[in-house]
Amino acid sequence: MKKTNIFRGLAALMTFLLSISVIVGNTLESFSSTIDTALGTQSEMMVTDDQDAVYNRFTPPAELLNEDGTGNSHALIQAAIDLNRKQAAEGTVLLKNNGVLPLSTGASVTLFGIRSQVPILGSSFGVKAFGGFINLDEALQNNITDFAHHITTSLSQNWATGQVERGYTTDGWSGDEFEFDGAGYKVNPTMTSIYQKLNETYLHTENAGPSEEYDPGEPSVKEIESVNASYKDSFAQYGDASIVVIGRPSAESEDYLPGGIVSGLGAEEPLALTTNERDAIALAKECSDKVIVLVNSASAVEIGELKDNPDIDAILWIGAPGSYGMLGVADILVGKTSPSGGLADIFATYNMSAPAMQNMGNFSYKNADVITRENSSNYIIEAEGIYVGYRYYETRYFDAVLGEGNATGTAGAYASTSGWDYDKEVAYGFGYGLSYTTFDMEYEGEPVFNVKKDGDVTTATATFNVKVTNTGNVAGKKSVQIYGQAPYERGGIEKSAIQLLNYAKTDLLQPGESQTVPVEVDLQYIATYDSSFDNGDGTFGTYIADPGTYYFAFGNGAHDALNNIMAAQGIDAGSLVGESNASYAYSTEITEDLLSRTAFAFSKTGTKISNQLPYADWNYFQEGEVTYLSRADWNGTYPKSYTDMELTNQELIDYLNGKYYTIATDDDTSDIVWDKEGDLMFYEMAGLDFADEKWEELLSEMSLEEAQYLATFGGPSIPGATSIGTVETYMTENAGNGVAVNLNASKDTEAPWNIKSDDPNGNWHPEVFESSPLTAAAFNPDLAKELGEFIGIESLFTGIPILWGPGLNTHRHAYNGRNGEYYSEDPILSGYTAMEFAIGALEYGLIAAPKHYAFNDQETNRAGVAPFMTEQRAREVELRAYQIAFEATKYDTEDNNAGMRGLMISFSKIGPVECTVSTGLMTEILKKEWGFTGYAVTDIYDDFDLYGAVLTSGATCYDTRGMSGFYTDTTLDSPRFANQADGSSISAKVFAGDARAQQAVRESAHNVLFAIASSNLMNRYNATTHVVKLNTWWRTAYYTAIGCTALLTALFVVLFILSRKKKEA
Amino acid sequence: MAEFMKKLSVGSYFNIVAAILGIVGLIAALICSNMTLTYQLGNMGTIGCFAFVGAVLALASVYLATVFGNADIAGTAALLLSIACFAAAFGNVLSERILLIAGLFSYDSVNTVGWKVFYVTVVAMAAFLVGCLVLIIGAFTNSVKTAE
Repeated sequence: MKKTNIFRGLAALMTFLLSISVIVGNTLESFSSTIDTALGTQSEMMVTDDQDAVYNRFTPPAELLNEDGTGNSHALIQAAIDLNRKQAAEGTVLLKNNGVLPLSTGASVTLFGIRSQVPILGSSFGVKAFGGFINLDEALQNNITDFAHHITTSLSQNWATGQVERGYTTDGWSGDEFEFDGAGYKVNPTMTSIYQKLNETYLHTENAGPSEEYDPGEPSVKEIESVNASYKDSFAQYGDASIVVIGRPSAESEDYLPGGIVSGLGAEEPLALTTNERDAIALAKECSDKVIVLVNSASAVEIGELKDNPDIDAILWIGAPGSYGMLGVADILVGKTSPSGGLADIFATYNMSAPAMQNMGNFSYKNADVITRENSSNYIIEAEGIYVGYRYYETRYFDAVLGEGNATGTAGAYASTSGWDYDKEVAYGFGYGLSYTTFDMEYEGEPVFNVKKDGDVTTATATFNVKVTNTGNVAGKKSVQIYGQAPYERGGIEKSAIQLLNYAKTDLLQPGESQTVPVEVDLQYIATYDSSFDNGDGTFGTYIADPGTYYFAFGNGAHDALNNIMAAQGIDAGSLVGESNASYAYSTEITEDLLSRTAFAFSKTGTKISNQLPYADWNYFQEGEVTYLSRADWNGTYPKSYTDMELTNQELIDYLNGKYYTIATDDDTSDIVWDKEGDLMFYEMAGLDFADEKWEELLSEMSLEEAQYLATFGGPSIPGATSIGTVETYMTENAGNGVAVNLNASKDTEAPWNIKSDDPNGNWHPEVFESSPLTAAAFNPDLAKELGEFIGIESLFTGIPILWGPGLNTHRHAYNGRNGEYYSEDPILSGYTAMEFAIGALEYGLIAAPKHYAFNDQETNRAGVAPFMTEQRAREVELRAYQIAFEATKYDTEDNNAGMRGLMISFSKIGPVECTVSTGLMTEILKKEWGFTGYAVTDIYDDFDLYGAVLTSGATCYDTRGMSGFYTDTTLDSPRFANQADGSSISAKVFAGDARAQQAVRESAHNVLFAIASSNLMNRYNATTHVVKLNTWWRTAYYTAIGCTALLTALFVVLFILSRKKKEA
Repeated sequence: MAEFMKKLSVGSYFNIVAAILGIVGLIAALICSNMTLTYQLGNMGTIGCFAFVGAVLALASVYLATVFGNADIAGTAALLLSIACFAAAFGNVLSERILLIAGLFSYDSVNTVGWKVFYVTVVAMAAFLVGCLVLIIGAFTNSVKTAE
């Protein structure tokens, strides 16, 4: 080959490599924040030259610091272990116990079920349980962790080989191990080794997920025999008790589906027991006459057959307990802790009997060809109305006992042999849970009603003082759950016969000890939303407190409380399912004089309430096509499956096609002040009230472009604004079970307590806590707050001021794959748990941003599915959880605006309208009714094509994960916003002639900055704060690559030219 | 035309193949950009320019070689620029699709529409990349036949 050609070829090669180096460099810079998180590098650092008055607003507790003020990673991990243990112990629910539990220490036990060796601790996607963990057999028999060899796993596909493999959540562990006091059992090693061997092919992981065609992967007896044919020989030595673990996972992006189970497993539904699981239980019976079943699932597994089986001695629901939660489960088994949890969801005999199940899954419009917008062809009709979870079963039960509303008809009867029968249809009720001790409960004095009127706003509470006495032989805690029943007129507005109103928990009561627990009930939550009520001002819909007899009761769950109310109503005990005690109920006559019918027509902020979501109801567009479930006729209105809905209404079609907002071009915007000269800086805003006039001054100093950047790029990296002295910062991360940043990858390396990269425990990942239903099942507000506080502390160590969590959607049914990330089917339990979490987190400057507001009722088609429902249902179920969390009335005072500061919006729609663009949802309800003044971000990359509509709805910003380098590498005219449904072109000038949009981005900037000003980011800010760019190895690498390839390109070009000249010469 | 073709040697054939690949990449990019509104390529204009100019330069390199002979400076410059253009087109597609790809391999793995777009995107990116490699190989060889 001639030299000329060689040099020419090499020049071509180097040109290519140079081009690739430049491309790689540009791409890395555009996503530098994400690259840093993935690689543990740091591209920039906030530096404050003047160290006075920084890092003194929020600090970790002294016990988590070394003497020199640096972070003590060992103490932090130990505290996480202790908290997770406590949580799991308090959340675990004892469903059945014939006296076998607690099981004495020293017992020799055998574990059955492959999940006994690979328990479900977290989700395959979403809230994973990370890092070293404590397995069940370790918790039962060991006394020191073995994190070096026990790291949680999840499945991943090897893209090189295509093989599905178990992958570790952390790259090894060479840090500390931790001592603990286990249950002190001896565990049968034969069965342990068999299941471990079998899992080499089953590939179960501690972080698992459901699927549309699910297989729980329980080995058969034959498979067990194939590993060790003489396994039964070990039974005699380890036969004090058999412990069987039944697992069902939950995870983001996948659901269980009706009938979605692999055929041939002996089960018709994915949450039903399979033949192999029944066989494992049968083996357990062979091994021991004491059989204990652990239900390791965030969803309601169909265990009715176990309840009725006399050979099953005890059943414990343990949720998905997190990395160290098995210690808490062991504490329950051995009796170190007496169970005190209550179910966060009802356990139906068959989940399909829930009316919501008639309309879950994959539904597309019959004429989907009229839809031009992506992700808009799917819907679900939530025809169950307000009757979600226990509200359906208990209300129908109530009517069945009374013989009203055709409640005993056959529609919806799955377990009943003839007409609908509560006893057959329900295995365990909501809130139900047993204990190792017994309690007497009684009202101490009359409840205290407190009705106050301040202008238009009425606040009405009833405080129930319940005296709880431990009458048993062991110490224990007891939750006090207060339920209520409002007067119902048959055929009138739908009302649940029973609903949780509030709850509290005793301290640890020693035998004979008593405690009076006050539980304050907000009477607004027993009022009913009547969307047809004429407000007299041209609007319709408000909350109605019907005058009449109201009943309140405590009880061991909703069913028990309802029975107590029915006893108080004089209903014959013989007609009830379960026990009843009239003295546990309280009734009172609420007259218009005490509480006007429209007392709650104004929200606590003084906003007049009216319908804001009329388009949520399918019948709003196409009248009479959907029948919602009604107490007036259970049998006649039990939902059918709406499988083939046809779009005929043009307004409905237009909404689905994204026609929401047109950006104006010629508005007079002179009243909106930007670029005003001023010296006020952001760091001076710390702790100021949202309404403080200084905010107006600060916002006026910003440019429209700066405000638009803040509204556009909502994290994890949030843009800076030079005019007010803020700098681009990595601020937000997941999730509800811990902050998703390793200790040694903190985003705040200047913090005195920063844990150095060479710390032996540096690669500890804080996402270790349990699934949300287990948190809720503790029915313990203080414990939820404690979790929030701890994750707040994690945020100080990881430098993350905003948390995308916790999950706050409703368990519409058991098949939602993401139930593990949400608390409960009950909005009161969910709302109060989330509120406590957020208040706790904020104590350490962490903004909790619960997700997904709202109606993320299933993962199937989650990117834009349209759930249709009544506004009553929307407000009384899903939205109530958010309302409680955002209003935070327990903590809100005149001097302290305690409401939540953060929020993530749902991927889904409400009716045909994207939640992100629903002004009713985002502004009228969230901001005006509930007084929300914080950060409200879309879900990841959601609705980029609706820029004008999203930013004018009340949403404060987009989740633009991955993007960074704002104003330079990433700008407002990013191609990612190039395809607008309205044809607009996004740039810094797009809102120049749109007054509403300008005002909206200004308000967004206000909200985002106010939230941040409440956060621990303010630890780092003063007048001297600036960003220092740092080099990273990957930056050095691509700089070097560009330099070298450029030089070589030039060299070979020159050599080529010289060679050519030489040839010519 | 036949005379023109007779003059061509291996390098030119590589360049012609590269030009075709550039057009294939352009067409694939257009297809993936127009499969759905959501996944339109916001920088399709830039991608199209790079791909088209890259293909034209690759062909120009062939033509210039027939005029000025093997390893002429103008033809070589066209070839180098063609490589840069194809690489730039590749980079622009990648940059625009990286969020989609990240989503598909994590939180959005069930996005069937996204996967369809992804597969066509891979075709576009592969065409540009292979086009670059073909041009590089061709650069090591003669573009026109030389007299023995």
